[in-house]
Amino acid sequence: MPSNGFSLGIQPIGEIDNFFLKVITGSFLGELSIKTFILPPLKSPEYAFNKRKIQYDAGLIINRMEKMKFPECTKVIGIIDADLFIPVFSYVLGEARMKGRCAIISLFRLENNPERMAKVALHEFGHLMNLKHCQEKGCVMKFSNNVEQLDSNFSFFCEYCIDQLNYLLKK
Amino acid sequence: MNQNMSIMVVDDELVVRESLYHWFDREDYHVETASSGDEALKKLMKSNFDVLFVDMKMPGMSGFELLKKTKELYPDAAVVIITAYGSIDTAVKAMKAGASDYLLKPFKPDQLSLVMEKVLRQKKMNDEYTYLKGQLSKNNRFNDIIGESDAMKKVYSMITEVAKTDAPILILGETGTGKELVAKAIHAKSLRCSFPFVPINCGALPDSLLESELFGYNKGAFTGANQNRKGFLEVVSGGTLFLDEIGEISQKMQVDLLRVLQDKKITRLGDTRQIDIEFRLLSATRQNLDEKIVSGDFRNDFFYRINIISIEIPPLRNRREDIPLLAQHFLNKYSQETTRKIEKIDRNAMKYLIDYDWPGNVRELENAIERAVVLTKSKTISLDDINFLKPSSSNSLISKNASLKDMEREHIKKILEDNNWNISNAANILGVSRSTLHRMIKRHHLRK
Repeated sequence: MPSNGFSLGIQPIGEIDNFFLKVITGSFLGELSIKTFILPPLKSPEYAFNKRKIQYDAGLIINRMEKMKFPECTKVIGIIDADLFIPVFSYVLGEARMKGRCAIISLFRLENNPERMAKVALHEFGHLMNLKHCQEKGCVMKFSNNVEQLDSNFSFFCEYCIDQLNYLLKK
Repeated sequence: MNQNMSIMVVDDELVVRESLYHWFDREDYHVETASSGDEALKKLMKSNFDVLFVDMKMPGMSGFELLKKTKELYPDAAVVIITAYGSIDTAVKAMKAGASDYLLKPFKPDQLSLVMEKVLRQKKMNDEYTYLKGQLSKNNRFNDIIGESDAMKKVYSMITEVAKTDAPILILGETGTGKELVAKAIHAKSLRCSFPFVPINCGALPDSLLESELFGYNKGAFTGANQNRKGFLEVVSGGTLFLDEIGEISQKMQVDLLRVLQDKKITRLGDTRQIDIEFRLLSATRQNLDEKIVSGDFRNDFFYRINIISIEIPPLRNRREDIPLLAQHFLNKYSQETTRKIEKIDRNAMKYLIDYDWPGNVRELENAIERAVVLTKSKTISLDDINFLKPSSSNSLISKNASLKDMEREHIKKILEDNNWNISNAANILGVSRSTLHRMIKRHHLRK
């Protein structure tokens, strides 16, 4: 799949096992043939830590990343091994805004399962590319509330989502 | 778009609004946000929302107040209360006030999904209910109009035909013939049946009141305009507006309505903004509008605009075969309403009803039966119970067994009564001299 100069940065936040980062970059190369970089790790985001919840605020981390410069990257996905929340939800596996530049995924609830990590990363990347949740059975863009539902999805896009993604990547 | 659902998130905290906005946006719902109850109500006035997620604790109007106002003004909208200050009491209070569900912040994504599934199920059931209700009313579309005569069958056929179109219809008929029932039947059978049917009697309202009723007004537009009010032309949106007694409206109102029909826009009194409107116009009159055009009381351009198709409802005297059916229908109706078990109308009474001229048409017949049901002392309506109906001379005139002499007598009597026994006027109308009329009065033993 042509990527037309499109490049994706994988941004470790805090300490992340290199094997997991390689699995994630590999899934993007295999599924979408887009150029993927592993960026130098960032410090643990203490500014986003909520002491009462003992969790990190995904929205605050994304806001901070959006302000950072990533000269080589069109989009960036942050990877953190800590539990994330957003103000209304008690936890999230990942967070991205539609058509945003940066997303974040949490490995905390994925039980060291590389396939789950790849699925969450592909899912949030879809949102960065303006894909909405898909109702197609098994599509990686189908919304997952928990790891059980995540496991019932494939680690690839359905034909409708991949067509749309192709079109958006070529734009 | 997900189920064509429109959602509004109402919360004073920006992060909450944004979080839910992004979640619903990713789910492909149409989603908007409001930071207060007032802002939410303004948005509700402009567009329809299927579900509102409302924070219970907000400065100004509380979520609970917003819930009550929403259910009062837009009962179809589902309201889900979200709060960080949850207790069984507040949940029960919210549910009693009409909330569809209740979420305690922060909630798991699963919980939000479950609430949405429940709301979608409820919406589907409501849609089905509205559809089935519409179907039912279509099946009964002629239930309120009674008659099996050929003349009425033609009217039914016309109703069926014109209901499919969007053309303005002018319904003609004498007083009491059921013009509004025909208008309702056209609306019920049209594609607009799930939208409002708004009837207005133009003859009952003075011009200035009719204008404010139709166009609406803003606060301060005139003395007594204490608040903004939508006019019927706005309220009817998507539905059918029925203007009864259209022949009574002033020339100015004709011009105003003509402009509305052409531009499909209105401006409320005291406002400058134009509002787009969409409706079908049905109008009715018992007057001869052709004569009013000739006399200059009715504009011909307005007449052509409202009279694309006309339906004429025959007077009851021209469809006497329907009288037994109608009389029996009203007998059943008022027997049930008054719980007086009146079983039937006897043969003589029925013959009298059939022969009577019914200048007030079906309405007069209904009133007569109601009065007879209330006053009769037996289980059968007899001639004595309806003798308050005075046969008019014209009734005798068309009586099949009347002789020429009887017809002459009745006709002279009617003309004299109509002219308050003014001999000169009556003689003039009858085309005879005063002395001839005096001779006729003597011959027919007529007395004042």
